[in-house]
Amino acid sequence: MATEETSIQLPVIELDHVNKHYGDLHVLRDVSLSVEKGEVVVVIGPSGSGKSTLCRTINRLETIDDGRILIEGRPLPEEGRDLAAVRAEIGMVFQSFNLFAHKSILDNVTMGPVEVLGRPRKEAEAEAMELLRRVGVAEQAQKVPAQLSGGQRQRVAIARSLAMHPKAMLFDEPTSALDPEMINEVLDVMVELARQGMTMVVVTHEMNFARRVSDRVVFMADGQIVEEGSPAEFFDHPQSQRARDFLDSIKGH
Amino acid sequence: MSSHTDTMSMRDALFEAPGPRMRRNIRVGTAISLVLVAVALGLVVQRFYLTGQLAAKYWTFFGQASTWAFLGRGFLGTIQVALVAGVIALVLGLVLMLGRTSALRPVALVSRVVIDFFRGVPSLLLIYFFFLVVPQYGIKLSSFWMITLPVGLAASGVLAEVFRAGVNAVPRGQVEAAMSLGMSKHKITFKIVLPQAIRFVIPTLISQLVVVVKDTTVAYVVSYPDMLQNARVLITNYDALVSTYFVIAIIYILLNYLINKASVAVARKTGTKIISRTSTAAV
Repeated sequence: MATEETSIQLPVIELDHVNKHYGDLHVLRDVSLSVEKGEVVVVIGPSGSGKSTLCRTINRLETIDDGRILIEGRPLPEEGRDLAAVRAEIGMVFQSFNLFAHKSILDNVTMGPVEVLGRPRKEAEAEAMELLRRVGVAEQAQKVPAQLSGGQRQRVAIARSLAMHPKAMLFDEPTSALDPEMINEVLDVMVELARQGMTMVVVTHEMNFARRVSDRVVFMADGQIVEEGSPAEFFDHPQSQRARDFLDSIKGH
Repeated sequence: MSSHTDTMSMRDALFEAPGPRMRRNIRVGTAISLVLVAVALGLVVQRFYLTGQLAAKYWTFFGQASTWAFLGRGFLGTIQVALVAGVIALVLGLVLMLGRTSALRPVALVSRVVIDFFRGVPSLLLIYFFFLVVPQYGIKLSSFWMITLPVGLAASGVLAEVFRAGVNAVPRGQVEAAMSLGMSKHKITFKIVLPQAIRFVIPTLISQLVVVVKDTTVAYVVSYPDMLQNARVLITNYDALVSTYFVIAIIYILLNYLINKASVAVARKTGTKIISRTSTAAV
């Protein structure tokens, strides 16, 4: 999906010394991260390390206490229309899918284009059907979310985000709520997106996906980015003890 | 008795399936209670007979078409008040709920006070207010509005809380998904949250209509000709208190039974989509 090149390549997403607390708990500690156009960044780490929170701050589903978040060089607005406009440009896929339960699959995908971008319904529906075909659930278009399997729902959720033509997509543990046999159907769609050059931030426990698809692995623990590097570097020669312990703990089986 | 009809499902969910001894106890218990009910009914009929309430003069006027036409007009009056009061309660309840959940503190506070006021004050008191106080300020209301407004207002407070419970039942993820698409607050409320919230509370809303129907019976205070008011006229004309109230009570019971039936049907229809989503966290 080629958008016009900007003359100076700014990072699509940039976090600059971001801090966040939940009461006494320091969930994000001085986190800095930048994601270039077309880059696939996978965030991994033990549970409670702040990786989901990090992901959710990027479209301000979580607020931050201090530091800066820049989207294509512009500070992330704090509220109102400006914030909504930025959110419309960043897709998000949730662990629990969050499809609109009262709407058909087709309406879920057209909701954004019609209600936010003001596109004609006919046109939006045609494109939605194309997207649903791409993720392999076109036959389900008239059903409601409750009638679909988890894997199908998550693929619809991805199509719903894609319908907005996002500049970047955030995946917050997209396969963690899925039965094992449905994980691959969702990962396949994500691999395809990565191949087509989508800018992606993926919080996941799928190490194979991280190794195969990502350009960079970010390892978080206790709210900090402990280590980052190419998947080969990280998985084969982790620098920090925390990362080594983490990799050992998941390799055991 | 078949043990797995669908009326049994709720009981099955609450208690373990009965064994042979329990099944025998249930059969014996059923027989005994049937006998007791029959005896109680017999006693009632006996009392009616002994006190002369079964005398023809108390019942024959129910054979006349004019009696039923008169009661029918009252029935229509009741339905009109209940429907209009119901609509007022729905609309105002929704507005009050939106106010109560507003981010603007003063709006939220005022809405909360209004809700608690309407919920806390007996509807009869509200009726007296519209009947006795409002006219003193030169506002002329017909007897229809003197009963409909207070009944509707009283119900609106309850409905506001019912709606709020519905809104709270909409999972946070629905709002987050809508926000992540860039939808405005206004659109999230009206396109995502409210449609789902209302589906959650439809059965409760319809049950509240039963309360509204029952509240309309105080219409006699403002001499609006609802069913009960017309029944009182019949009582005076025929000197038939017990028989008339008996017939009227059955009509009210039937009406509210039908409303409850409707709520179950609606719940079943809209429920299929909702139940499977409350049982699993993910949609």
